[in-house]
Amino acid sequence: MITGKYLLTISIWLPVLAALLCLLLRNYNARNIVAFLTGIILAACSIAMLYIGPFDYQPEGLLGISWDTIITAADFGLLAFVLYIGLKQRHLLITVLAITQAILLVYFDFTLGGGHVEIKPAFVVDNLSIIMALIINIVGSLICIYGVKYIADHEEHHPLAKSRQPRFMFWLIIFLGAMNGIIFSNNLYWMFFFWEVTTFCSFQLIGHDLTDEAIKNACRALWMNSLGGAAFATALVLLLKYGSDNYLSIRFLLSQAGKPQITDILLLGIGLMVFAGMTKSAQLPFQSWLLGAMVAPTPVSALLHSSTMVKAGVYLILRLAPVYAGTYLSDMVAAAGGFTFLVTSILAISQSNAKRVLAYSTIANLGLIIACAGINTPLAISAAIVLIIFHAVSKGLLFLCTGFVEHNIGSRDIEDMEGLADRMPITTTIYTIGIISMFLPPFGMLIGKWAAIEAAAQLPLVAFMMVIASAVTALFWIKWLGRMFQGVPGAVRKDEPMAVHYKISLGGLAVGAVLLGLFILPLVTNIISPAVQKYYANSGLASASGAIIAGGSGLFVVWPLFALIIVVMVVAGLIYKPDKMRQMPVYMCGENSGGFNSTNYITTSDTSYALSLSNYYFAGLINEVKWNWVVNSLAIMMIIVLLGVTIL
Amino acid sequence: MKQLIIALFVILAAPVLGGFFSGIDRVLTARMQGRVGPPVLQPFYDVFKLLGKEPIAVNQRQVAWALGYLTLIIASLVLFCLGGDLLIIVFVMAFAAVSFILGGFSVKSPYSHIGSQRELLQMLAYEPVLILLAIGVYLQTGSFMVGNLLNQSTPLLVSMPLVLIALMIILTIKMRKSPFDLSTSHHGHQELVKGITTEYSGPYLAIIEITHWYELILLLGLVTMFWLQPVWVGIILAMAAFFIELVIDNICARLTWDWMLKFTWSSGIILCLINLGLIFAHGKGVI
Repeated sequence: MITGKYLLTISIWLPVLAALLCLLLRNYNARNIVAFLTGIILAACSIAMLYIGPFDYQPEGLLGISWDTIITAADFGLLAFVLYIGLKQRHLLITVLAITQAILLVYFDFTLGGGHVEIKPAFVVDNLSIIMALIINIVGSLICIYGVKYIADHEEHHPLAKSRQPRFMFWLIIFLGAMNGIIFSNNLYWMFFFWEVTTFCSFQLIGHDLTDEAIKNACRALWMNSLGGAAFATALVLLLKYGSDNYLSIRFLLSQAGKPQITDILLLGIGLMVFAGMTKSAQLPFQSWLLGAMVAPTPVSALLHSSTMVKAGVYLILRLAPVYAGTYLSDMVAAAGGFTFLVTSILAISQSNAKRVLAYSTIANLGLIIACAGINTPLAISAAIVLIIFHAVSKGLLFLCTGFVEHNIGSRDIEDMEGLADRMPITTTIYTIGIISMFLPPFGMLIGKWAAIEAAAQLPLVAFMMVIASAVTALFWIKWLGRMFQGVPGAVRKDEPMAVHYKISLGGLAVGAVLLGLFILPLVTNIISPAVQKYYANSGLASASGAIIAGGSGLFVVWPLFALIIVVMVVAGLIYKPDKMRQMPVYMCGENSGGFNSTNYITTSDTSYALSLSNYYFAGLINEVKWNWVVNSLAIMMIIVLLGVTIL
Repeated sequence: MKQLIIALFVILAAPVLGGFFSGIDRVLTARMQGRVGPPVLQPFYDVFKLLGKEPIAVNQRQVAWALGYLTLIIASLVLFCLGGDLLIIVFVMAFAAVSFILGGFSVKSPYSHIGSQRELLQMLAYEPVLILLAIGVYLQTGSFMVGNLLNQSTPLLVSMPLVLIALMIILTIKMRKSPFDLSTSHHGHQELVKGITTEYSGPYLAIIEITHWYELILLLGLVTMFWLQPVWVGIILAMAAFFIELVIDNICARLTWDWMLKFTWSSGIILCLINLGLIFAHGKGVI
């Protein structure tokens, strides 16, 4: 189809072009125009793709050279650069992994001839890719727009001799192109290339500030993702050596699902790709790279956590799910995902740094998505897609809000957000939409979680981990909300001047979170169900008169619940009449002192004492440092079993 | 239309019934303590008096969250009576609890703050058991819908006795009875005053009281669910559970939150797990 071809070309090449423009035109206004235009065009492209539906595309070569050759050359170029970084930073793991990947690639390209295998078509766009494209190009673009302004403010706070804003925008925007490459590729070899590009982009972005900590954490992200890359490369070798040329095509792999042609050794290849996905999605024991990534400026965290990077991992795992359905590998994937969901949710309770809480919550939710892929029933896959969509919007929103608040109150600690509802009501409203949409009914994340638990009911162990984890999840969100909504007597409302970038990105994502929740029924029927039905007998989720039906055994009434929330807000507004209601200071078990606008009180020693409150963090029970090695060793064992079951 | 009538009936009848139970609670508790106790209708007198008082609050949000608590509990009760998805009912109940907790957090009071923190921990203690109950119902009947239970010939109690025991533990927490009346209770506590509800007064406190009545009916409904054919056996079961809770309340002292968490997670969740494991194994033909 002719239009599809252009849309796909634009979504991969436009970010490259825009990124180069940002680098060349070293000017704030130019970056603004480029970011806005790129965002609009990319979003339009993804929506147009939704409109025209699935298509295939086989690009011609460039100037008579085949794309396979170009990608092979680019692959080696990238590896050489990674090797250079490893040597320059004297980082043994990066160096070794880069050399390993290079050896694997040489073997793949030249001994096995993988570099010349032509997979037709190279790009397959199906419903799942389109959903991912919408997330990447709409949420991702909003984050890039936010990024232009944020990084300018950021440099105002930390002045530099030579501005690094152009290079920041370069890596931020090119990331979107690489992500589009991953989700559209049918050729696994091409996907591997884009996969490596995202690894490299995230390395550059995490290390942006060039502090010792930033470089250290960037290197950690690089070696962990290189390990995933090496696993991916091994998978390519296995698929080509023990399968045939066709096995490098995702479409062919999916068509072989459940057939005896998928032998143990090929299943090991699939398992290795799942492993690569788990490193990219920062699953245990690789959580530390994503936690470390928060040293980067906030738009980077927002991008890595919501629409790109970690979503590439779950995309690959979900994409391959039909191939490993019904195997022990699938059960192990479910168990590993559930385990991550459980442990990281508990760890999140002990954190007071907002970005760290968000990071743990991301890892937890990715664990849940991976657990769904492992459960591998139509209902579970639908749940996973619902979770991917809503997590991208809500988590992007939460990170952007955190960045905005940090620039305004000078802290990202949840304890410092006490009384934020009085100080910055508009921002708090947006924040609250983000938090509530993460865990409360009737919003999408909870619909996903509900469908996940209903799907998991047949696997008691996974269901059990999900049950505990989802109860724990609520705890840290409520604690956070509680701090923000604490009424602080005498709090002064701050000005909340929002640059147009912030208005568009925060407003867009907040409205998106609400609208998507409100219109989840058509979303399920028209977008999610077709994506699942392509590879499964049914879609598991269906919609009927204001409610969602899960696999015939459950019913989620969406609209009545939304109506109820609106009723409460209206009634609360009607009942509350400030002039009729007397306001009183709180009871202190001692005389209040300092008047109406303070919470000081007179103690038994006759002195005035200021009340201060803070959340429980259970430092004695949940110790991140102590837990880490136990949790990580358990996770490593699970991964060994996960890969082991494929060949047993 | 039929659903609307049921919903309206539930909304009107539940608080009357709940208030009545609350009155019986006070009489029985008094008798157990060798007192005469108030008349059975005392809770109604109390609430009507509260409703007539001058509205005083610390801030607006406090009032909004109290309303949210009321409406969400009503919503979950209505969903329950309409035979809705048990998992959703549990989630809506959780949202209601969140509203209640945030109401406590929304004032800068040491008592209501600690009450809220404890209520959060209580939620952590009971939430898994309630979800596991829903999963148990699914494993047994192949559906999460409460309405579907009416078509079952064998009552749930036969296959899920251990889950009922776990639910009894949860009932103690939800009814705010000793040993788990940590966040607030029917009596003032020295260190906590009235805990999470310390800063509510007059009509707003009445809202909270009425919500507790609705909640009580919902909880007793969950017990009734264990024996729906014929339903009077289930009602007797619920009455028995209610009475046992009162006895426990009167023979126990209040304990700490970490003890509560350890107890609910070790016994409550383990009981559920053993029971679910048995059902699962039975379904697979192992037992």
